[in-house]
Amino acid sequence: MKVKVVTHILEANDRIAAENKKLFKESGVYVINLMSAPGAGKTSLIEKTIQEISGKLKIGVIEGDIAGSDDARRIANLHIHVVQINTGGACHLDANMISEVLGDLPLNELDLLIIENVGNLVCPAEFKVGENIKVMLLSIAEGDDKPLKYPLMFQESSALILNKMDLLPYTNASIDKIRKNSLSLNPKLKIFEVSCRTGEGIGKWVKWLQSLIK
Amino acid sequence: MHEVSIAQSLLKIAVDNCKKEGYKGIEIIKVRIGRASGIMPDALSFAFDAVKIGTIAEKAALNIDEIPVSGFCESCKSSFTVEEAYVLSCPKCGDFLIRIETGHELHVYEMDVF
Repeated sequence: MKVKVVTHILEANDRIAAENKKLFKESGVYVINLMSAPGAGKTSLIEKTIQEISGKLKIGVIEGDIAGSDDARRIANLHIHVVQINTGGACHLDANMISEVLGDLPLNELDLLIIENVGNLVCPAEFKVGENIKVMLLSIAEGDDKPLKYPLMFQESSALILNKMDLLPYTNASIDKIRKNSLSLNPKLKIFEVSCRTGEGIGKWVKWLQSLIK
Repeated sequence: MHEVSIAQSLLKIAVDNCKKEGYKGIEIIKVRIGRASGIMPDALSFAFDAVKIGTIAEKAALNIDEIPVSGFCESCKSSFTVEEAYVLSCPKCGDFLIRIETGHELHVYEMDVF
């Protein structure tokens, strides 16, 4: 016998994401879902961002990794509330994983929660976790072909941060090409050029971020 | 790589629906997967065969209907369908004023139950 179902496969995830989002709103915390390939500099960007604005805003961090807690230790060294999630093999964070750790963070005290997703240019873009915006990081050494190879993440993100700009003379990457193709995929994408190593460009990114958090 | 999560979710939707209606088991689950959804049909089938073991869908086949990316160009007022997972501009006139209509599907839409 045939039975019609017609249900979105990610419905369960989206429902939990909506609950998380409601809780974030009630707690008055702005939430960023930060995504990139492994090694693009997500944790470094979080460290730089914290150093730049921790005097003005209360920040919390959720670290998502397949295994290990090195990243959480780096953030904890900056005296910031941080929770490590180990996905145990899963290539992305989903709404339920976030929901389960929210009790470990003082949400009411926070202005900004940064969720560092698992390093992966594909899967994290598919799963909402309850964030206000998705931000992606691309280190220029990864190559200027990435927007057209991994279009979904570029389409889903509100901001694209190009990291490791200090390495530009040593790569063949064309920033123009990255900009042009990213904007073709997502005309509203806000693009920042930074180097977490030298600190170049961090100010502009942080200023934009602060403008979003009222 | 996250096809396992997707397989688990679609299995849960199918099994929950089946139990709710009082059926004993599932023979076929039909899903619609858009080419722009980021899901690889082969990987999804592989993951589904692994996660269905021990459930009432243990013998179920997964039928995947792949939906191509299609849309409408506001500039030249024509519809288009492409083979790629994304489209940057109208394949006919090249304008960027396009509206994507299909290709992002990720739905369970029908099952054969007994």
